[in-house]
Amino acid sequence: MSEPNAPSLMPHEEPLSPRADLGVAAAFLAFSLTIVALALRMPRFAEQGGEIYTAPGLVPAFYGVILAALSLWLGYRSLQRGALKGVQARAAADPGNSTTRLAIAAALGVLFVVGLVGKMPFWLAVTVFVTLFIVIFEWEPGLPTGLRVRRIATAVIQALITGLLVTLVFQKIFLVRLP
Amino acid sequence: MFDSLREFGGAFAGLLTPWGIFNAFWATFLGIVIGALPGLTATMGVALMTTLTFTMPHEQAILVLVCIYVGAIYGGSRSAILLNIPGTPASACSTLDGFPLAKQGLAGRAMGISTSGSWLGTLFGILCVAALTPVLSDVALRFQSFEFFWIAVFGIVIAGTLSGGDPIKGYMAGFLGLFIATIGQEPHYNYQRFAFGSTDLAGGIGLLPALVGAFGVAEVLQSMRGPAARAISNKIDSVIPRIGDVLRHRWTILRSGAIGTFIGILPGLGEDTAAWSSYAAARRASKEKEKYGKGSVEGLIAAETGESACVPGALIPVLTLAVPGSAPAAVLMAAMMIHNINPGPNLMLQTPQFFYQIVAMLVIADMVKLFFGLTLVRPLLWILLVPRERLMPVVFVLCTVGAFAITSRVFDIYVMLFFGFLGFVLREFKFPMAPLILGLVLGELLEKNLTRGLVLSGGDLAPFFTRPISAVIAFVTIASILWSVPAFSNRAAALFRRRPKVAAGSAP
Repeated sequence: MSEPNAPSLMPHEEPLSPRADLGVAAAFLAFSLTIVALALRMPRFAEQGGEIYTAPGLVPAFYGVILAALSLWLGYRSLQRGALKGVQARAAADPGNSTTRLAIAAALGVLFVVGLVGKMPFWLAVTVFVTLFIVIFEWEPGLPTGLRVRRIATAVIQALITGLLVTLVFQKIFLVRLP
Repeated sequence: MFDSLREFGGAFAGLLTPWGIFNAFWATFLGIVIGALPGLTATMGVALMTTLTFTMPHEQAILVLVCIYVGAIYGGSRSAILLNIPGTPASACSTLDGFPLAKQGLAGRAMGISTSGSWLGTLFGILCVAALTPVLSDVALRFQSFEFFWIAVFGIVIAGTLSGGDPIKGYMAGFLGLFIATIGQEPHYNYQRFAFGSTDLAGGIGLLPALVGAFGVAEVLQSMRGPAARAISNKIDSVIPRIGDVLRHRWTILRSGAIGTFIGILPGLGEDTAAWSSYAAARRASKEKEKYGKGSVEGLIAAETGESACVPGALIPVLTLAVPGSAPAAVLMAAMMIHNINPGPNLMLQTPQFFYQIVAMLVIADMVKLFFGLTLVRPLLWILLVPRERLMPVVFVLCTVGAFAITSRVFDIYVMLFFGFLGFVLREFKFPMAPLILGLVLGELLEKNLTRGLVLSGGDLAPFFTRPISAVIAFVTIASILWSVPAFSNRAAALFRRRPKVAAGSAP
């Protein structure tokens, strides 16, 4: 029999720990109160005949209040489930997940968007990004030099083809401007 | 009757030009590939192609997007069967019986079942679109601002309640989406809300860059963090569907088609809910419950039919109310607006031919999907074997192009990146994405109708609750929220619970 208070997750999903939910609730509460505060500071345009219900801040304030109420509900529920009781067993991390791989992928994404796009021709930015991405993720210590060179060469070729093909297909066929 | 048939004929004739057929084939194929590749979803595919097809004539652009959508939902089953990894969230249910069938050396049969179930499911959904859309459009024409306000709120609430996650977080995601939609100039006084002096923010958050980020970039990050997937086998038996499988499970197909279409009609739920609901209903009604999860043909056919019937179903509220039935349908709706087609109750009055075109597009996409399902088995297997290290940087590049394409603002690329990280973090904290998307899409509809309703009523809230249709939608919305409060739902369930009968004269 399922726990009556458990969230109705899909069969393949795992719930979050009450303590993590409490943290999420606190962050959302702070965010929603900020929305309400900013919305209340917006002008009402009364001098132009504006009513309270046409004030620019009304709708965001309404959303902010609802978000705050939902955050309180989530926080209350997590407390009921024992968010502050003793040391909690952390949910087992997926053994296949890697934070390092995640951080590298995120950093490469930022590098591409902030450091490469717009600073050089798009095909070249793509070539540099794709090459770096493949070489870093396929890097294996102790690989024979010949194999490593072959991998890097195929990465460069794939990256070059991607850069040129994306530029050609989107600019010439889809008539889309590229950054 | 004959007028409708003539309109359908005209819609088919207009779409089945050499250019249209070419577009249908490559787009459906691309959709299947996107769906099959773990980490790429139908929403991302439709969002990406929306930005890349906006220079095409509207019929061809929407045809491409419909084909991508139909193909991607079907394609997800390939990796579910061969890798035990759902290519799209909608295919998670297909792993339960698809993968065990593949392990028994019946990968081809499983794919045949998936193809026939998916084809019939979409066909069932198309019949419902053709039959229900004109009727519902007539009803929707009676709606005013008050009703549309509640329809938008109902969409957020029902998506939050039923989209598969924690309802509280579903509502929070929905209202977060609604809040994001308020960033930029507001409609009455052109006041710049939450812009902090930035001209880019004053222009608002583009829906498509946000979607490409939340689905594309977030999925690249998710995919690179997780373990690499390997196909179970490269030996595949015949994928030709067996007529016997279809006939034996005809009631399952009909039931799953009806459930899938109904789930599609409900705002924001989408194909994963449809697949799980169809699967659960089939299992309840089955005489072979013990086979479920161990390679049940019936279970697989139920999941595939349900998720594929949901695709046309999700377009019914788009066409009648301008409220999307799923996340990919939300993007498709945005694409229609980009092409100056206004979905909603007036669609059948202003551009009735577009309704017939949509039905024709769905039929074409379903037929092309069947063709590829039966013929393109081995090439799809090769594609599944492309290492993610080689695929994901290309996906990231396409996301960047997609985010930039419509308005050519570099700011939109930053929006994409921000929403990629936001989407990833929200998913880590178990926030469902469908309500967030629905909030972004419905933000304008909700605000416009709330303020218009208040202006019409002179600030009086009563009409929102006293007009008959408004009152019904408000009641259903509030009841849905209350139902997700355990204290309330437990008491309500106890009221309806059957009490054990005590036979007269028996001992107490």
